[in-house]
Amino acid sequence: MKIKIEKTSFPSKTKSLTVTLFSVITALLTAAAIFQFYGVNPLSAYEKILYGAFGTPYAWSETIVKTIPLLLCSIGLGVAFKAVIWNIGAEGQLLIGAITATCVALNFPNLPSISLLPLMFISGFIGGAVWGLIPGFLKAEFEADEIITTLMLNYIAENLLKYLVYGPWKGSEEWGFPYTNKFSVSAQLPRIPNTRIHYPTLLIGLILTVLLYILMTKTKLGYEIRVVGESREASKYAGINFKKIILIVMIISGGLAGLAGVGEVAGIHHRLKVGISPGYGYTAIIIAWLGKLNPLGILIASVLFGGLMVGGDMIQVSLGLPFSVINMFNGLILFFVVSGEFLMRYKIKIKR
Amino acid sequence: MKSKYGIIGLAWFLLLLLIAGCVGQPPSPSPKPTTVTPTPTSTPTPSSVSEKKIKAAFIYVGPIGDYGWTHAHDKARKYVDNLFPWLKTSYAESVAEGDADRYIDRFIHEGYDVVFTTSFGYMDSTIEAGKKYPDKIFFHCSGYKRYKNVGTYFAEFYQLYYLNGLMAGALTKSNKIGYVGAYPTPEVVRHINAFALGIKEVNSEAKVYVRWLFSWYDPSKAKEAAESLIAEGVDTLAFTEDSPTVVEVGQEHTEKGQQIYTFAHYSPMLKFGPDTVVSGQLVHWEKIYEDILSKIYTGIYNSTNLENVDYWWMLKEHAVELGVDYGTPINPKFINQLKAVKVKEKVTGQEMSVYDLVMLRLKQMSEEVPTFDPYTGPIYDQNGKLRAKPGERLGHDPLWTMDWFVSNVVGEVPKPS
Repeated sequence: MKIKIEKTSFPSKTKSLTVTLFSVITALLTAAAIFQFYGVNPLSAYEKILYGAFGTPYAWSETIVKTIPLLLCSIGLGVAFKAVIWNIGAEGQLLIGAITATCVALNFPNLPSISLLPLMFISGFIGGAVWGLIPGFLKAEFEADEIITTLMLNYIAENLLKYLVYGPWKGSEEWGFPYTNKFSVSAQLPRIPNTRIHYPTLLIGLILTVLLYILMTKTKLGYEIRVVGESREASKYAGINFKKIILIVMIISGGLAGLAGVGEVAGIHHRLKVGISPGYGYTAIIIAWLGKLNPLGILIASVLFGGLMVGGDMIQVSLGLPFSVINMFNGLILFFVVSGEFLMRYKIKIKR
Repeated sequence: MKSKYGIIGLAWFLLLLLIAGCVGQPPSPSPKPTTVTPTPTSTPTPSSVSEKKIKAAFIYVGPIGDYGWTHAHDKARKYVDNLFPWLKTSYAESVAEGDADRYIDRFIHEGYDVVFTTSFGYMDSTIEAGKKYPDKIFFHCSGYKRYKNVGTYFAEFYQLYYLNGLMAGALTKSNKIGYVGAYPTPEVVRHINAFALGIKEVNSEAKVYVRWLFSWYDPSKAKEAAESLIAEGVDTLAFTEDSPTVVEVGQEHTEKGQQIYTFAHYSPMLKFGPDTVVSGQLVHWEKIYEDILSKIYTGIYNSTNLENVDYWWMLKEHAVELGVDYGTPINPKFINQLKAVKVKEKVTGQEMSVYDLVMLRLKQMSEEVPTFDPYTGPIYDQNGKLRAKPGERLGHDPLWTMDWFVSNVVGEVPKPS
C-alpha cells in the first residue's frame, strides 16, 4: 500500500472561505469537548470568553491593545508568506524594533515628542527590517533555509535584549533590577484616556493594512510577490528578480514587526524589559493564515485573536481552568486551519 | 458492532469524567495541628466577623507545576484556603508581566477583596491597581514600592545559603564550588554571597564559580551549566533555578563514582538525589499568607494602613527552613562526614565540628533577636573594597540592592556601563 499526495486544482475563493470557517468551527467543537471534560459547560465557557473580550467597553479597549502588535506583525507576515518566504522571526524582529527604539528614547530623552516619537518608529522599523534582512540575504545568496535562520534569530534577539537590560542598559533608578529607566514623558506614546490604547500605533497599523492591501492587489510589486509565491520557475521566465523580492518581503515583514515592538515599549511598558511580548510574533503566524494572507482578512483575525488573548483570562479567572487551556485553544485553531488548507490543496491517494 | 463500540466509548468517557472529577477536587489534607500557630493578635468579636468572608486571588508568573517558585506559592495558597473557613481563594498562572493589570482588574470585577501578586515584574501594575481600587487590599511579593493599600512581603533565604556554604566548604575536596544562578538580580547575588561567606568561614582556600542561566526555569540550560562546572573540576553545586535538574546531574555523576555534593533549592529534593543532596533551602510562604490574611480578617490591616507593611521573613519567623525535605535539615548520609571536619568557631575560638557549627548558627539565627548574621563585617568584595566594617551588620538596603561579589567568588555581576 502506498500513500501518495497530489496537488489538486486551485481552490475557488468561496470554497477556501468555507473550509476555513469549517476548520475554525471544528476547532471550537474540539475545545468544547475539553471544556466538558473539565466539567465546565462549553456554552457558558464561550459566553464568558466572548464577554471577557468584547462584552464591555473596557474589554474592547484591552482587545484593541492586543490587536495592535498582532496586526502589525501579521500583515507583514502575510506579505512574506504570499511569496512563500516562511518568516518565523516576527518575534525577534519585534524585539529588535523595541531595542532600537529604546536606544533612541534613552539617548535623546529631551527631544520633543513630535520629533522623538517618529524617530523611535523609524529606528524600530529599520531595526526590525535589518533583523529580517539577515535571513533574507542568506536565503537570496546561499539558499539558506529561512525557517531555521529566522527562528534562530528570535533567540539571538531575546538574548540580546536580556544582555542589555541586565548589563549596559540596566536602569540606575531600578534598584539593580533588570529594567531600563522609565522613558521620559516625550518618549511615551499618547493613549486614549482611561485605556491603554496607544492610538498612534493603532493608526499606523490600520493605514499600513490599507496600503499593503493596495500593494498586493494593485501594484506591479504585489503582482511579482504573488507570482514568486505561486511558482518560482514561472517568475524566472517572467523576468522577476527573485532575490530582490525576498529582500523586499523581509524588509516589509521585519520592519512592521519592528513597529509593533516600538508600540509595546513606547505605548505600554514605557521601558525596555524582559517579557515585553508574550509571543505576539508567533501568534501572528496563526493570524496570517487564518486571515488567508489577505491584509483585510488579517485585520479581522487580529481582532479575534486579540479578543481570544484577553477573553482567555476568563478561562483562568472565572472558570478556574489551567493556563494551558488557552495555549491548547490557539494550537487547535492553527492545527485545523492548516490541515484544512492542506486538504484543500492536496489530495491524499491510497494505492494498493 | 457499532453499538458495542458505542458502549465502550461511553464507558471510557464516564471513566474519564470520573477521573477529571477526582483531579478537580484534590483530597485536601487537613493541616497538621502542630504547624498552626495561633496569631496572638486575632481576638475578633465573634458577632462582627462571623459572617465575613474574604476572597483572595493569587497571580503567578509561572505554571503551578514548576516545582519551584510558583509551586511553593500555590501550595501555601491551598494551605490557607483549608485553614480558614472564611477564606475563598483563586489563582491565575503564567501571567505575563504586561498582562498583570488586566488580571487584577478581572479579579476585582469578580468580587475579590485581596490580590497577591507574586512576581517582581508586577510591581508597577500592583501599585497602579492600589490607586485605582482604593478600598481593596493588595500585597506584592518581592518589590519595594508600597501604597496605603499595597503591602509587600518576601521570604528571604540568605541565612540558609550561608548554612549551606558552611557545609559546602567542609565537604569540597577540589576547593572548587559551583553556583548555577538564574539571573544576576540583587536577590541571587545576595544568596551567592551568603553561600560564599559560609564557605569562607570554614575553608579559606575554596572559591565559588558562577554560571548565569538568564532564566528562572530552564532545565536544559541548568544541566549544561552544571555539567560544564563539573568538567572544570567543581565537586559541589548550589543553584537558583526552579527545577531539580542540578541535583539530578549531581546524582548521575555520584552514581558513576564521582561524588558531587549538591544543595537543593526551593522544594524538597532529597528524592531526586539521595546520594548527592546535602542540604538545601525550603520556603513556607503559608506562614506569611496566614499572618497577612488573618490580620486582614480581624481588621488589623485595612486599605489605609499598609504603607509601611513589609514582610522580610526568615528563620525566626519560620518562613524558611533549612533542609533537603521538611523536617530533615541535613541528609543523614552526610552527617558523619560533617561531624568529622573540625573548625574553630570564629567568635569564641572554640573548636567544634562543622555539623555542630551549622546547628549552632541555625539556633542563633532562629532566635527572637538573632545573635548571628552572615552579613557581619569585615566583608571585602572581589576588588578588596571593604563593604562592611568589622562588627557592622549589613541592613535591608545594602542587601536589597547588592551588585557586588565577596572576595572568594569567581565571576562577575553584569553591570551598567
